[in-house]
Order: sequence, then C-alpha cells, then structure tokens
Amino acid sequence: MAIKFPSLEFFQELARRMNANPAAFEKLGFCDTVMGMRVLGKNPHLYSLTFDVFECSDVRELSSPEGAGFDFVLEAPLALWKEMFESIQKTGHPAPAYTLNSLSHVGDRMKVVYDEPEGHDKFYRFMATIQAFVDQAADLDIEWA
Amino acid sequence: MSYYGTDDFSYNSDFNLRIRDIKKGNLDFGWLDNARETVDVRRRDPRRGLTLEDCEVGPYAIENTPEVVRDNRGVAPRGAILAPGSEQPDLGPSLNKKSDVWGYRVQNYWEEAMSRQWNVTTDVPWRDMDKYEIPDELEIAFCQLCTLLSEVEMIATDLPAKWSHHMNSYFQEVKGFIATQAIDEARHAEVFRKRALAGAGLIRASVRGEHALKGILEADSYSEGSVFLHVLGEGFILTLFRSSEYISPTPVEQRMFQLVMQDEARHVSYGLQHLKYLMDNCPEVRPQINGFLDEAERHLTGLFNPDQLESMIVLGGKGTTPECIRHGIAVVGAFQGKQIEEYFHRAERAGLPERRERSPLLELQQRMITALSA
Repeated sequence: MAIKFPSLEFFQELARRMNANPAAFEKLGFCDTVMGMRVLGKNPHLYSLTFDVFECSDVRELSSPEGAGFDFVLEAPLALWKEMFESIQKTGHPAPAYTLNSLSHVGDRMKVVYDEPEGHDKFYRFMATIQAFVDQAADLDIEWA
Repeated sequence: MSYYGTDDFSYNSDFNLRIRDIKKGNLDFGWLDNARETVDVRRRDPRRGLTLEDCEVGPYAIENTPEVVRDNRGVAPRGAILAPGSEQPDLGPSLNKKSDVWGYRVQNYWEEAMSRQWNVTTDVPWRDMDKYEIPDELEIAFCQLCTLLSEVEMIATDLPAKWSHHMNSYFQEVKGFIATQAIDEARHAEVFRKRALAGAGLIRASVRGEHALKGILEADSYSEGSVFLHVLGEGFILTLFRSSEYISPTPVEQRMFQLVMQDEARHVSYGLQHLKYLMDNCPEVRPQINGFLDEAERHLTGLFNPDQLESMIVLGGKGTTPECIRHGIAVVGAFQGKQIEEYFHRAERAGLPERRERSPLLELQQRMITALSA
C-alpha cells in the first residue's frame, strides 16, 4: 500500500523499520538526538524524530518548532525531498549529490537550522545513522503530495 | 632504565618473608577492614548497558572530587583508598586541576566513541572502487588531499597521546575519551593512506601545513592544545570533511568521509565543552587563551597551502578546464567562509565572543570574498 509523503505515517514507517532492524543500527552505535524534518511548500509540514540509543522512539507532527527541543532541523522544499527519496529508490542509496550532507552543504539546498553549535554537530556525529534511517525508504511505495 | 625505585623488593627481606608467610596460608586480612559500603550502581537504561554515568555515585563521582586534586599523585582510580602519608608514589601528573582538562558531558562522549567505532578494512566498500572510472586529474587531486589529511591525522593522534599521562588519574573519563580520540585519528590516518595507495598514491607532503600542525603539538598547556586542536583545527577539518564528502569522486569516498566526520564532530563537541568548562570555572585564563588563539589562527592559515587549495578546487569543479576551475573556486570559497563562521559561533557559545573581533581569520575571509568577486 502506498504511503503519502509528506505524512506522519511515512516517518512512522521509517521508525518502525529502524526498530525492527536492531542489528543494522546497533552496528552504527548510540544515536541520541531530537531532530526535525521540515517540508516546505504550499502546505508546509514539520516532523519531530527522537533518536534514543538504537531506536527512533518518537515521531510526531508539530505545528511549530517552539519548545520541541530540536538539536537541528533539516529544511527543504517538497521537490527536493522528492528528488532525494527518488534517488535513494534507484539503488538503495542516494547518488553522491543527494546524500544528506551534500544536500545541506555548499549551496544549502537543504538548510540545517540550529541554535547551539553542539546541536548542529549532532547532525554530523550521527550522520551514518540518520542517512541509514532515510535510506530505508528505498523500497517504500510513496505517493507524492 | 631511567627510574630506579626507592626499594628493591627482590632483596627486601621483610617483603619476601611476608610473601612467604602468605603462601603458607597466614593471611592478615588487613585490606578487608578497608572494604567500603557498596554503592548503588544500576543500569538506568538497559539498552545502553552499564554506562560511566551510571557509575557516578558516592565517593566515585566526579562531582564529589575537589577542583584541585592534592592527595593522589599516582595512578589510583578515583574512589580507591590511598596508602597513608606519602607511601603512594608520585608519578608526576601536571594536570591536577579539574578545569585543566574537564569538559561537560565527557562521560557521554566516551560512551558514544566506544559505541560508534568502525573498521577501515571492512566498513568502507573498497570492492566498489573497480566500478568507477575516475579521470586522472581528479584521482591525483584526491590523493593530494589524502596526503595532507594523513599529516593532519598524525598530529591529531599524537596530541591526545602526548597529554594523557600528564593528567591526574582522577580525571579518568577525560583520559579515556582522548584515548578514543587517538584511536579515531589513527583510523583516519589509516583510511586516507589506504585510499591513496589504492589509487594514485601519496603525493606532496605539505610544508606550510606541517608548520601549522607543529603549533598544535607544541602548545604550552593542555587547554591551549585542546582549543587549537579540538575547536579550531578539528572544527575546520570537520567542514573540510563535509566538503570532501560533497566533492568526492565516487560513493566509496563519500562513505569514507561520512564515517570520519562522525568522529571529528565528537572531538569538536568535547573541545567545545572543555573550553566552556574552562571559561565557566577559570575565567582568569581568558587573556591567555585569547593570546594563544591570536597566534593559533595565524598558524592555521598554513593549512590552506597552495597544493591543498588547488586540489580542492579541481575536485570541487570536477576538472581542470577554466570553467571547472571557476566553479571549483566558488565551491571552495563557500566552504571556507563556512569554516570561519562556524568557528566563531562555537567560540561565542563557549564564552569567547571576542574572537570575531580579534581574529585574523575575518580579514582572511574578506580577502577571499574580494578575490572571488574580482
């Protein structure tokens, strides 16, 4: 069954897959961060993902980042999220230009929004886990908004 | 042999008689009298196992340790019962003040480091290298970058190793964390060496870069070395790793940089928390740290040596045609600006907002912007 993007169900499904696959994520190590993923567009959406030890323990949609305690938020237009996930779906991993780091680095097609440098650095400290988390969408049947 | 003990136990008759006596079964159980009340150590989160934070209890906790450790000069672990008087040998630690080394949350960084270790031999998809054809100039440029990064990682391995034995053993968590850093950096030197040798080989060693690195190694105090290495140097290198992932010729190199950047970001976080702890608890060292950084930031510009800069431009522009070079200059200019901005932001949050005004890096950034817009 197709899962709509963006939707709470989409990120819940990625969390379910992560928690059902402990071997892969335990190998990558502890991951402790609260991050946001913001989809910009006519109907913007903001999702909060809590990574806790080896699991994604909480996923929710928020109307505002206030009080969410985000370490950092990845922010991009819907079209860019779509390009990224489509790239992941081609081979199971993103093409070089579509890794989370590449998208958010030079040119800032994807913005990393943060207050504290340590929160910002968590994006890099847990990069392999966060990339593996989004790569799980490789075989999802996605219905684009 | 450079150290001869105060007693030769092999000829000490009291000692030998006592050992012989014990072997006959005549134990005196004096050490049992010192046994302590058991503390309540529990796994707060069973998924993590037994963590260092779980062990922060009673007489073992760092918060119950004085700011200046005067009683222990040897390698006794924090909380052990020391021999009375001056019987315990003095191993000469020079860092006996907590603010000399401590950083907020250092226990967590040690745990995170242990949990997120990886293996160069097996975790980089070396087998995929054959799948991709890399143009010669890009391959050589990439190997030039690997050569400089190998030099950087050598110093980053040596600095924590150099300071560890100077730290009082009561600061075990810092010693443990910087030991993980030393192995992380050794692993980085390994991955850059292996990648270079699997491709075009090692290219030119850097003269200016090594001068800059010598400044890190020769810092007069651990805090100076830490602020130079962890906050300034590794902060810059973290952005360089991010850029290198961005301009990597194939997914093999991208994976390599995703893994090294995780370690680097952890070292930056510790450095930031050490600097913050130092500024909160020992603000009188601010002029000394600022004076040191005035010079360290000048040193650091040595890392932008011409070979390094050119290879990054070729990688960023993906070639050597004038158009590629123009694009490469823009890519490199953008990430250098980012390096400087992120450093100022970290320094500000650690309690040194004046770096932005004092630093020679701003002038360098302005010169780069002017050059780019010319």
